[in-house]
Amino acid sequence: MKRRSVLQLLAVAVVVPFGVAACGGGGGGGKASSTVRVTLANHVWTDGIKAAIPEFEKESGLKVELTQLGEDQLSDQYNVKLNAGSDEIDVMMYRPLQEGKQFAKNTYLADLTKHVSSDASWDWKDFQPGPVTASTFDGKVVGVPIITEREVLYYRKDLLEAAGVAVPKTMAELEAAAKKISETNKGIAGFVARTNKSAAVTQFSSFLYSFGGDFMDDSGKSTIATPEAKAAYAFYGGLINKYGPANVSTDMSWPEAMAIFTQGNAAFYTEADSLYKNATDTAKSKVAGTVGFAALPAGPAGAKPYNIPSWGLAINSASGNQDNAWKFIQWATSKERTLAAQKAGVPGPRSSVWADADGISTYPKDLAEAIAFSAEHGVGHDRPLVIAVGKAREIVGEPIVTAITGGDSAAAATTSNAAFQKFLESDK
Amino acid sequence: MSNALLPAGSTRVDPQAAAAPARRRKPLSVRAYTWFRVGALIVVVLALLAPLAWLFASSLKTNVDIYDASKTIVFTPTLENYVNVITRNNYFVYIFNSFWVALVSTVLSLLLGVPAAYAMSRFTMHRSALVVLMARVIPGISLLVPWYYVFSNMRMVGGFTVLILSHMFVALPLIVYIMMSYFDSMPLELEESAQVDGLTPIGAFQKITLPLSVGGMATSGILAFIFSWNNFMFALVLSGAHTKTLPVAIFDFVSYASIDWGGLMAAATVVTVPIMVIALFTQKYIVSGMTAGATKG
Repeated sequence: MKRRSVLQLLAVAVVVPFGVAACGGGGGGGKASSTVRVTLANHVWTDGIKAAIPEFEKESGLKVELTQLGEDQLSDQYNVKLNAGSDEIDVMMYRPLQEGKQFAKNTYLADLTKHVSSDASWDWKDFQPGPVTASTFDGKVVGVPIITEREVLYYRKDLLEAAGVAVPKTMAELEAAAKKISETNKGIAGFVARTNKSAAVTQFSSFLYSFGGDFMDDSGKSTIATPEAKAAYAFYGGLINKYGPANVSTDMSWPEAMAIFTQGNAAFYTEADSLYKNATDTAKSKVAGTVGFAALPAGPAGAKPYNIPSWGLAINSASGNQDNAWKFIQWATSKERTLAAQKAGVPGPRSSVWADADGISTYPKDLAEAIAFSAEHGVGHDRPLVIAVGKAREIVGEPIVTAITGGDSAAAATTSNAAFQKFLESDK
Repeated sequence: MSNALLPAGSTRVDPQAAAAPARRRKPLSVRAYTWFRVGALIVVVLALLAPLAWLFASSLKTNVDIYDASKTIVFTPTLENYVNVITRNNYFVYIFNSFWVALVSTVLSLLLGVPAAYAMSRFTMHRSALVVLMARVIPGISLLVPWYYVFSNMRMVGGFTVLILSHMFVALPLIVYIMMSYFDSMPLELEESAQVDGLTPIGAFQKITLPLSVGGMATSGILAFIFSWNNFMFALVLSGAHTKTLPVAIFDFVSYASIDWGGLMAAATVVTVPIMVIALFTQKYIVSGMTAGATKG
């Protein structure tokens, strides 16, 4: 009797969790099912789409199963799941410049060339050229851009006014203004920006282009030790070294740099425009009322901020449900949805929406102008266009840190140049 | 004091003779030692509690105040973050998921691990024990891709079963090893006399050894539970939208262009408190289990 009761207990203990598993998870689904499995990153854009999904389900008769994750978790998950050839993801939100080349090279991404030209009213030509280039691999369209980003200058109107300086139009004016404000306002930095070597690369890139440099040339050789690149490293790092916050950390990404600006401790800040709500929202910023925006000041080679798609939608090439997946993408990137997202503060990739007065109605006027300028003069990448982007950023970001800490950034650039060249040769 | 430094059992000291002079010498050296101990305790406790206090304080602040150095200690508390966590983010579901996975994987691991440890201990199966240990030596991340491949082909990814199995993979070796040393330290004579009294070997295990090893099972069970509760990596890849566990759900407060620090801190508090309560109530088992097998026998 006793032994039987132990066995019974064991049997129950083994069976019960599996029972719950059956009702809780599962949902495998066969090929070309009416359920589209969509994986999205945590983003304001995603919040808008999530709220509108019932509309899509009603229109199309399809069901959407949504998984939402942070950007790094999303990356980890793709690397495991797509590597295993999983067909459990149909639509995937990805970062064209960070992962696009790697994913396309590994044939994780389905060819969308036929799809994008299938519907004239959806209008693929309406998408800005920079973001489209970044979502194309080997002449094939592999992604549809959904969110775009440019680097703009954030500044404090009140501090500029008190110091009697105008909004800087050139890099030289920016330096002079930062100097004046940091000297006349105790405890306030003239300039702040990202300082972590990997995180800073994207925001440094606009400085690099504006000084006439780039990460590599057309033949794929490293160009980060050219005189232009060295001048850009010295300038970006020098601004923070000379006029940045006291005892500045060299591990700041946007949350830390943004916090210094929004706590009222810096006059100028160069950052992606898509983060502007962090500075203008009173729940997050102490200086919400006095923030101004301007296009990136011009360097010796003019003003060349990046204009990139930070996120796009793609279809998993192993998915058996590609036609329905495309229906979802088509709906999520339609003019109406792009307009709605843009009004919620997510800069979109469609020219027609930017041209529409309604499309910029919710943006601060000076920000809308800065964005329009940057979209026109923008460069289509903000980091080296390679496969192992993470590793490349670590290498090309090293001289930034050297410059910030007051070291010899020209020598550091020469060292990094050799390392980057070696990396490029192996990155195939 | 000097006696304490000698290896246990190396000399036989008459306890009374040792205690008497110590009591007489008490005033200076003992008092100094007490002060030193109190001071050291305060430093250690502060170092350990400061991050937790910071976490809890931040969970009661608005996002602007969290970054404000002047409001580190004095601020106007708000419960908004908690309301946000509980009402808008389905936290009860995640708490249930975490709890269910941790509980079931721990119970199943105990059911399998305790008899296995008993067998390995009584029949000195050292090689088998080594194989079990390998599971803990191999880094979890290297198992993740093959696991995902196998389980996704079985259409099991996203369910509780696969999460429970993956957590058992780590919990089992832990339980087997703690229980093995526990059984090793238990005198064989107890079971032998039970068998003399007419019990079968299994009966002796059930009626004598098992009730005596509740402490060890509690320790290993709690450690396995804590591991499962905190596990992020397996849950990230193997869980689905309905089976997300707390450590994965916490990242929902980090978005691409905005981070809700207040919500993040409140959610982290929600994750930490249950496991701290469990640890507080069961700490006597954990502490005795940590030394299990080390000094006994």
